[in-house]
Amino acid sequence: MTGGGTAHLRSGQDILLRVQDLEVSFGSGPHRVQAVSGISFDVAPGETLGVVGESGCGKSTTGRAVAQVHRPDAGTVRFDGTELTTLGSRELRQARTKVQMIFQDPISSLNPRRRILDIVSEPLAIWGLGTKEERHRKAATMLEAVGIDPAQAGGRRPTEFSGGQCQRISIARALILEPKLLICDEPVSALDVSVQAQILNLLQDLKEERAITMVFIAHDLAVVKNVSDRVAVMYLGKLCELTTPDALYRQPAHPYSEALLASIPEPVPGSERGHTGLTGDLPSPIDPPSGCRFRTRCPYAQELCAREEPPMAEVAPGQFAACHFPLVKPGQVLPEPGPAPEPPRPVL
Amino acid sequence: MSPKADGQLRFPDVADLNGPILEVENLTTHFQSDRGLVRAVDGVSFTLDRGRTLGVVGESGSGKTVLSRSVMGLLQGNRVVKGGTVRYAGHEISALSPAELRQVWAVQIAMVFQDPMTALNPVVRIGRQVTEGLRIRLGLDRKAATETAVALLESVGIPSPAARLRNYPHELSGGMRQRVMIAIALACGPKLLLADEPTTGLDVTVQAQILDLLGEQQQERSMAMILVTHDLGVVANRTDEIAVMYAGKIVEKAPTTELFAHTRMPYTEALLRSIPRLTDPSHMRLRAIPGRPPDLVNPPAGCRFAPRCPYVQEQCRQAEPPLRNAGPGHQFACWFPVGSSEGEQALAYNLHHKVPAALAFTGTRADNALAAVPPEPTPTGDGEVAS
Repeated sequence: MTGGGTAHLRSGQDILLRVQDLEVSFGSGPHRVQAVSGISFDVAPGETLGVVGESGCGKSTTGRAVAQVHRPDAGTVRFDGTELTTLGSRELRQARTKVQMIFQDPISSLNPRRRILDIVSEPLAIWGLGTKEERHRKAATMLEAVGIDPAQAGGRRPTEFSGGQCQRISIARALILEPKLLICDEPVSALDVSVQAQILNLLQDLKEERAITMVFIAHDLAVVKNVSDRVAVMYLGKLCELTTPDALYRQPAHPYSEALLASIPEPVPGSERGHTGLTGDLPSPIDPPSGCRFRTRCPYAQELCAREEPPMAEVAPGQFAACHFPLVKPGQVLPEPGPAPEPPRPVL
Repeated sequence: MSPKADGQLRFPDVADLNGPILEVENLTTHFQSDRGLVRAVDGVSFTLDRGRTLGVVGESGSGKTVLSRSVMGLLQGNRVVKGGTVRYAGHEISALSPAELRQVWAVQIAMVFQDPMTALNPVVRIGRQVTEGLRIRLGLDRKAATETAVALLESVGIPSPAARLRNYPHELSGGMRQRVMIAIALACGPKLLLADEPTTGLDVTVQAQILDLLGEQQQERSMAMILVTHDLGVVANRTDEIAVMYAGKIVEKAPTTELFAHTRMPYTEALLRSIPRLTDPSHMRLRAIPGRPPDLVNPPAGCRFAPRCPYVQEQCRQAEPPLRNAGPGHQFACWFPVGSSEGEQALAYNLHHKVPAALAFTGTRADNALAAVPPEPTPTGDGEVAS
C-alpha cells in the first residue's frame, strides 16, 4: 500500500498521539469516497508534525478524524493513553478538551453575533470552570498572549477585525482549555504573506511557552518546513513520505515529494527549478488507481507500480517513503548539508 | 487619429506599433462610501511595451485588483470617481463609453479573473461560454466557432476538449476551470492580457502548470501581460518588470532582477523577508511586518508605509516621498531607502530608540539594542524626481 505499513512508527513510550491504519470515507454505494485509506503516524510530545499535499489528498480529513470530528471507519487513534475511536460521546467530549483545532477561514469560524470575550471564554463556560468574572479574566490574559488588546477588543464582534486578528482570536479560543494537542488546518493559507509571518511566529512562540504538540496541515511546503519537526506528505488518502523537513528538502525520496517541491515558486529570480512534468489533476478518490496511487502522474512509474502497492520503508535513517523506486536508496549516505545558503541580502 | 469615424474603433496592428502598448498616467479610482472617499488607486503611472510582462504585487487592499479593473474600464457607476488617463495603442480608452469599450474588450484587452468558479456562469455549458466571444466579436458562425473553441481548449491543455464543451463548470476541477477562463480570455486574440491573481486558490502543482501555460500562450501570441498577485514568488521568474503597490500607490517599480538585487523601498524588502523560504532551515523566525495596511479612507499623512516601516523617521510622517529614479527603469518612493547610508543610519537610529517595527524587522530583542548613540539621520537627496 502507498503509505500502508507501519515501519515508520516509533516504538518507545514517549508518544502523545499514535494513529494507525486510519480510514475515513464519505457517502455510500457507488459514490462512496474513501478520503483517507489506511494511514499511520505518530507524534511525540512537543513535536510538530506537518501534513502536506494537494487539495483532495485527505489531509484535512485526517486532522478532523484525529479530533473525532469525523468518526473513522477503521483504525485506531491513541491519544495520551486513551483510545479515542471507542469512546462514547460523553467521554469523548471530556477527551476533546485536550485536543483543539484551528481552522482555515478565521472569519467564518467565529460566530459573528457574539462578542470576542464571550467567544474566547465559551470553552470555560461549557465546562463550568470558574465564575463569569474569572472566565473573562482568563480570556483577557489569553487574548493578550495572542497579541490582541482585551480592553479594546473584548466587547467587539468578529466582523470588526481583519483575517489575521480573527485567526489570533481563534487561537486564543483553542488554547484557553490548555490542550496538549493543537490541530491547525491550513491556519495561514487565507492570510496575506505579511500577516502569515505574524501568525506563524505566534504559533511558534505559544508552542514553546506552553509545550503544545501540533499537527500542522497546509499545502504550502515552505510554510510547513518552517514550523515542523517532521513532515508527512500525503497523496490521495495515503502517506507517501515521512521525514524531517530538512531531509525532505535536501533529498526527497518519493517522486511526489520531488514534484511538490519543484512546483513551489521561490521569490528569487532565476531560481526556477527544472519542471518535473507533473501533469494533470488528482485522480478521483472514488476510483483510485491500482497499485501505487501516484503512478498515473509519476515520471518514474513501472509496470510493478500498477500491480503492487509499495509499503512504507526506511530509505535513510529517519526517512520513510512508500515507493518501489525511491529516489533515495536504502543504505545510500546522504550528502551532509553544506553551509547554509546565502540569504539574498545580509541580515542585520 | 479619431477612433470614431464610423462608430468603429480602429486600432493599429500591434506589430506596426511604435511606442508602448499601454500607457497609464496618474490613474486614480476612488469609491464613494458611507465612511467617505476610499482612495483605492491613488495616482498610478506606468507604461508597458508589447510582448512584455508587468507584475503588480501588493497585500490585500493595496489596490492592485482595482488597478487592473480600472485599466480595462470595468469599473462603472456613479459611486466610482475616476481620474487620469489610460492609453491603449495610442487611443485614450479611459474616455470611451461602455458601448465603445465593448469593441476593446476580448479583442484587444482580455482578463483572467481570480476565482474561476464565480467568473464562469454555473448554468451555461463550457462550449457556449467559450464560443460567445468568438460569435459576437469575431462574427464566426456556430460551426467555425465550435471548431475554434475545441482548438482553444486543446491549446490550454484540456484533455478531450470536444467532450468538455458539453460540461458545466461544476463538472471540472479548479485547475481545469482556470484553463477554461484562460481559453475564453485568449479566444479573440487579445494583444494585452490582464491576469488578476490567476492562481490564487489553486494547488501549487496546478499553479505551476497554469503559470507555464500563461507564459507559453504569451510567447506564441506575443501578447503583453499584467500579472497581478500577492505572491512575490509567482512573479520572480515570470515577469520582465514588477510594480509594488501599497495603499493605492506604486511605491517601487523596477526590472525584475533589479528589484530583487537592489531593493530600495523598505516595504518591498519587508515583503520579501516575510516569506518563508524552502532554502531556510526549519523553525527559523520569520521577519513579520507588524501592523496592517492603512485605512484607505484616512490614509496616514506623509509616507503611507511609515506606521509599519523599520526605517521610519519624523520626515516620513510629514512629507510624502516622491517617486525617484534609481537607475534604468528603477523608481522608488522613500526618504531613507534600503541600501543607502541614509537608510542604514535611520535603521540604526530606530534600533537604538527601540522602535518596535525596527526590532521586529531585524529580529533584535529590545534589551540588546544598539548601545552607541547613532547620529540623527537626514533624508536622502539622491536620484532625480521621476516625472
